[in-house]
This record gives sequence, structure tokens and C-alpha cells, in this order.
Amino acid sequence: MSPASPSSSSRSRPAVASGRTRHASVAARGLLAAAERDLQQIILDIHDGPVQDIFGALSQIQMLRHRGEVQSSDALVLDRVAASLERALGEIRNFIGAFRPPEFERRPVGAILEQLVVQHESLTGATVDFTMTTPLPDQVPLSLKISLYRILQEALANATRHAGVTHFEVSARANRRHIVVQVRDRGKGFDVAKVLKKEIDVGVAGGHFGLRGMRDRVAIMNGKLSITSGRAGTIVTIRLPIS
Amino acid sequence: MIKVLLVDDHPLVLEGLRGLMESEPGIEVVGTTTDGTRVADLARLHRPDVVVLDLELGATNGYDVLTRLRAEKVPARVLVLTAYGDGESLRAALEHHADGIALKTDSPARTIDAIRAVNAGVLVFPQAARRWMRKPAEHAVAGPSALSDREREVWGHLASGLSNAAIARKLGVSPSTVKFHTQNLFQKLGVGNRTAAAVEYEKQIPAAARGRRRD
Repeated sequence: MSPASPSSSSRSRPAVASGRTRHASVAARGLLAAAERDLQQIILDIHDGPVQDIFGALSQIQMLRHRGEVQSSDALVLDRVAASLERALGEIRNFIGAFRPPEFERRPVGAILEQLVVQHESLTGATVDFTMTTPLPDQVPLSLKISLYRILQEALANATRHAGVTHFEVSARANRRHIVVQVRDRGKGFDVAKVLKKEIDVGVAGGHFGLRGMRDRVAIMNGKLSITSGRAGTIVTIRLPIS
Repeated sequence: MIKVLLVDDHPLVLEGLRGLMESEPGIEVVGTTTDGTRVADLARLHRPDVVVLDLELGATNGYDVLTRLRAEKVPARVLVLTAYGDGESLRAALEHHADGIALKTDSPARTIDAIRAVNAGVLVFPQAARRWMRKPAEHAVAGPSALSDREREVWGHLASGLSNAAIARKLGVSPSTVKFHTQNLFQKLGVGNRTAAAVEYEKQIPAAARGRRRD
């Protein structure tokens, strides 16, 4: 795929289903749930510690300012302290908002996707039109819910972060064997092959693990990921088998 | 004056919010507690306009507290105060009939604004969560298909003009049981009184089916 071409795409293929890869895939799916549990614990620790302390401290600073008993030179210092604390809370809000897992086990897959859409709108101010063009099955494996959620999350976050996209159309549908989620935006697009190549070069440390992370998650589930991008925007299609 | 009951298991948050609210005109803190099991009793005692409710209350879950306040019809608005503004949290707060959600990851001044707004009868949720706001009402009006056999029976008697006492005698149950059934019936049909329930019966149940049911 030439970098200058107006449209580029990438399609990942399912892993070869030899005995060994099947085993590896089952193990990887087990790890998905474990990773979500770890994440939940980290977020709980941040919630119980820094958030309470910073919020409590900010309340007291605002109280002092309201009472108007602070000397004007000190008031400026207090305002600067309050502004730093508010920035710290804002960063924590974005982190918790993005990474806190939904109740994967209790919620059906459609509800989880819809919650993600609302969350993305709420955190970024983007608008996301979400439609389920067919009903989605009630009973699906936990690893499938986690994968769909995190892959869709990455697709939305990437487009917002790198292409400044503010409007998305997300659709979800299912047949007996697959769930398909499609994300469409009319942003400036990008060269898929080039970005994928760059991600492999810089690795996770380079901060651009988005597409690669999506591709890896799709591979674990023996699914297909197709990304078509050009000047008219980007279409990401995620197709994962139900069993 | 807006009377506020503060519920949070973190002392620094309680102390900070209390101090801040006391410096605010028009807001009075009538009570504070770190114990979720005491909220319903304190609310009856102090009659707050707004309960500010943390969700993580040690052994108690804030949603259990909220469910109890609603079940016991404590007439206070409830503002959920939490660090979590993710989709799951927004949806759960709406499902549990909170009047609003305020974030501990926002400035405490916004909590004060949210208290004033819920007190004025405004539901305080991010714009993005509004797509769920109509749904609880839709669920509440579940329609005749959601009625149990007993409720359907009570509905028929009620529509034919019988009083609760008469229905109770007919069914061999206590009048309070009939009252319980009629309340559920009204909720599921989305009506406010017996007359409206009877009108709904005429509309929804074909005459032929009514005859069979009475036999």
C-alpha cells in the first residue's frame, strides 16, 4: 500500500488454528478478565486515596476563599493551589473514566457498548450515533464482551486523539456466529499501513499502540479487523466470533 | 434555605464539604454521617431537602441506601457524589432513581451547584446520559402484559366497581393485600387512581375476554 494512496486499508487474518495456537488463545482470553480485575483494583485504590484527599482539601480551600478572611497576597497563592488540585483531579477523572471496567458480567453486550458510547461523549464532548441494527445475543463469553468493549474504546479514542474527530456513527449487529461492530467517522483519515509500521517500530513505549493493540485483541479472539481510511474518513469494522 | 444531609465515609470530605456549605448562603447542613445504615433514620429525623450520598460507604453500598430511601418514600432529593463518571456509573445512578450525580473529580463548587439544581427539581446528569432518562419511565409503565394473574383479577373486580374491602372478601385475602395489588397495578399501568385503571380496563380488555374471565 503506497503512503500516497488516497485510501488505505488493513485486514488482520485469524490465527492458524493449530493445537498450540488454540491453547495460547484460550490462555490469552483468560488473561483478559484477569487484566480487567487488576485495573478495577488500581482504580479503587486511586478512588479511596488521592481522590478523597484532594477533593476534601479543595473544599477547605474554597471555604476559606468564600469566608473572605484571607489576605489578598495569600488569596492568590490559595487560588493557584486550588487550580493545581483541580487539574490533578481532572487528570484522574479522565483516567478513571476511560479505564474503569463496566460490569461485564452483569450487563448484556449491547448495554456495555451503549455505556461506552455515552462515556466517550461525556468525557470528550464528541457525539456518537449508536444503532443496533439487529438484536445482540444475551449470552456471550466474558472475553468477547471485554474484547469488543476495549477495541471499540480504542477505535473511538484514536480517532478523537489523532484525527480530531467529533462525530461518529457506531453500529452493532449479530448473526448466529458473529458480532460485528463498525465505527465510521468523517475525519481527516490516516495511512493505515504507515501507522501500523510505525507502531511496530516504536512499540508501546512510543505511545502509539492503538491500532496494534486493537489488532492483537482481535487476533486473540480469532476475529477480523478491517480498517479503511482516506480523505473522506475512516471505517473500522470489528468482527468477532461468538463462541 | 436548602437543608442538606451529608453521607460520606471519608472524614476529610465530610469536614471539607460541611465547612464549604456552611460558608454558602442558603444552604444548611442538618446532619452528617459516615454510616450508610443510618441514612433513612437521619433523613426522617432531620427532613433534609437534599441527601448528598457517597457510593462507597465501607460495608454499605450507596445504591442500597438509595433503594431504601426510595422504598420508604423519604421525600428528599438524592444527589450521588462519586469519583466515577464512567458510563456504568451514570447508568446505575439513573437506574436507582438518583436525582443527580456530582463528581469528586470536579471542583467542590460544582457539587454546590448540583445541590441547588436538584433542590429546584432539575435532574443533574451529563447531556450524554440523557438518552437513558426516558427509559425508567417506560419501564415503570410496563402495560397489562406485565400484570400477574392476581393483579389482573383485582383489576377486573376494580373495573366492575368493587371496593378494596369487597374485592378482599371475594378473593379471601386481607384488604391490605388488595391495596398492595392495586398499587402495583397502578404502577404497571401508569395510572394514578381507580377510575383511570377502570377506564384502562375498558380500553384494553375486549368485552368477550371480560365475560370469560368472570365465569
